[in-house]
Amino acid sequence: MLNLSKVITIARYTFKEILKSRILYSTIICGLSLIVITFVATEFTYGVPEKIALDFGLGMLSISSLGISLFMGATLLSKEIESRTVYMVISRPVPRWAFIVGKLMGLMGVLIVNVGILSLMTLTCVSLLGGNISSIILLAILFNILECLLLLLVVVFFSLFSNPILSSIITTLILVLGHAVRETQLTHFVQSRPLLKTILSFYHLVLPAFYKLNLKEFVTYKQHIEYDYLVLAATYGGLYSLFLLLMIIFLFNRRNID
Amino acid sequence: MLNFHGITKIFKSDLLSQPFVALDDVSFDIPGGAMVGFLGANGAGKTTSIKIIMDFIRPDKGHVTFSKDLGEDKIKVFRNIGFLPERPYFYQNLTGMEFLFFMGALSELSRAHIQQEIKFWGPRFKIDHALKRELKTYSKGMLQRIGFLATILHGPELIILDEPLSGLDPIGRKELKDVIVEVHRKGKTVFFSSHIVPDIEEICDRVVFLKEGKLVYSGQVDTLLKSNEELEYIVKVKSENLFPLSTQIVKRENYPGNLVMLTVKENLRVHLLDELIKTKVDIVGLEQVRPSLEEIFYKTRSAHAQPQ
Repeated sequence: MLNLSKVITIARYTFKEILKSRILYSTIICGLSLIVITFVATEFTYGVPEKIALDFGLGMLSISSLGISLFMGATLLSKEIESRTVYMVISRPVPRWAFIVGKLMGLMGVLIVNVGILSLMTLTCVSLLGGNISSIILLAILFNILECLLLLLVVVFFSLFSNPILSSIITTLILVLGHAVRETQLTHFVQSRPLLKTILSFYHLVLPAFYKLNLKEFVTYKQHIEYDYLVLAATYGGLYSLFLLLMIIFLFNRRNID
Repeated sequence: MLNFHGITKIFKSDLLSQPFVALDDVSFDIPGGAMVGFLGANGAGKTTSIKIIMDFIRPDKGHVTFSKDLGEDKIKVFRNIGFLPERPYFYQNLTGMEFLFFMGALSELSRAHIQQEIKFWGPRFKIDHALKRELKTYSKGMLQRIGFLATILHGPELIILDEPLSGLDPIGRKELKDVIVEVHRKGKTVFFSSHIVPDIEEICDRVVFLKEGKLVYSGQVDTLLKSNEELEYIVKVKSENLFPLSTQIVKRENYPGNLVMLTVKENLRVHLLDELIKTKVDIVGLEQVRPSLEEIFYKTRSAHAQPQ
């Protein structure tokens, strides 16, 4: 219980520190660009302006929140070690796991605020252009948060044994692969090569399949989503995140903080 | 209070690089209630030792044992330790007050307790006027002061400071030293590393001296000074034209006002005084040569630097 309150304290001050670093200025700029782009784009389309607004909005939301996860996550620990702020925290009666979980929670808090602001702007644009705000849009936003969490954990995991630039590059590659793997599997080139097909099917067992958490396609084109798919995707994202979190805690506990 | 026992730490940056022995079988004790200075040149292994004490890095051999008075497990022990790292930067976007509340909350202090401590120590550290400002606006001295305040906020029994006086101006150093002495007088154990030897000599009763990863000395400052006394005396005389003396003189220095300072070995001081009295030279003073800790420190360093 005491350790949990320390996790919350670390999360609270991490959130405060990041917010004060004016990261949300980028969110506001993204939001304003979204409004401008949406209204300009609707002038060039005919019939479905609300779909354009939704497409741009969800896209911007996704890029902005994944960008924050990637770049803030890559430096989350290295910055603490370089500036020796980590020493001030873990020299107190704070277990290492509480430090890392608190830092991650604080950064997730910033991401949720970022997603919240951009979602509000997107939904406002959609409403103003006469579109409906369906539950599937809200689900797509929630799954975007889950995707950000997974990406954040991947980049923090790699940052434990490489530098921020390398961990950002590796994580970006994994993110691209994780989205492209399903489409790649469906290509004739892969289908006609059993070995390649088997190798790609193993991808899911090792690296995160980000495409499972991407509901934007359903929002834009299908407007319907199976309940079972949602449960399976959420469970997959949740369990993978939990596994990564445990790995990060295990490695951080054993690591020399030097 | 703390036993640093048989610690060896070897660093190896990659598979192809040569291993670097940062600490080689180093052992020392920090007794309860002592003020212990931790001396050594750059790269001697001071910060590595402190990181091992704080469990930031693990030794290849040896172990650190804390007194049962501090607590039975790591978390309980760390409730009673205050630590200030070398050149701390802290969280730049937090205000001084937010930072202190953050540190206090992690040390399990209530808001009221933190406020009370800030009220007491803030003016002592001359930092109370700046607590509402963000830490990025603080000068180096102010950061060091607020860092030290955060270190003692929870009333720790053992205070470990890594180069707390480096980078401070003489006034800042004096102020911080005064507070360290005040905290020590309240019965706290203080262990701090420094390059500034006179500071350690001035306020510490014990010293741990490392050289190139090896322990050179651990014990009372007085014992170290006594063991290095050269047992020489300076005889000050006033003479316009001091004739050649039969006593063997180590050093002769002339100063304005016909003042001459003669340095002799201890066993020859009576002989010299006798000779001076017989020749009716005006003797104005006699003092024992006592090497400072700094002289011993540099002597030991340069002795080691000579090719073997």
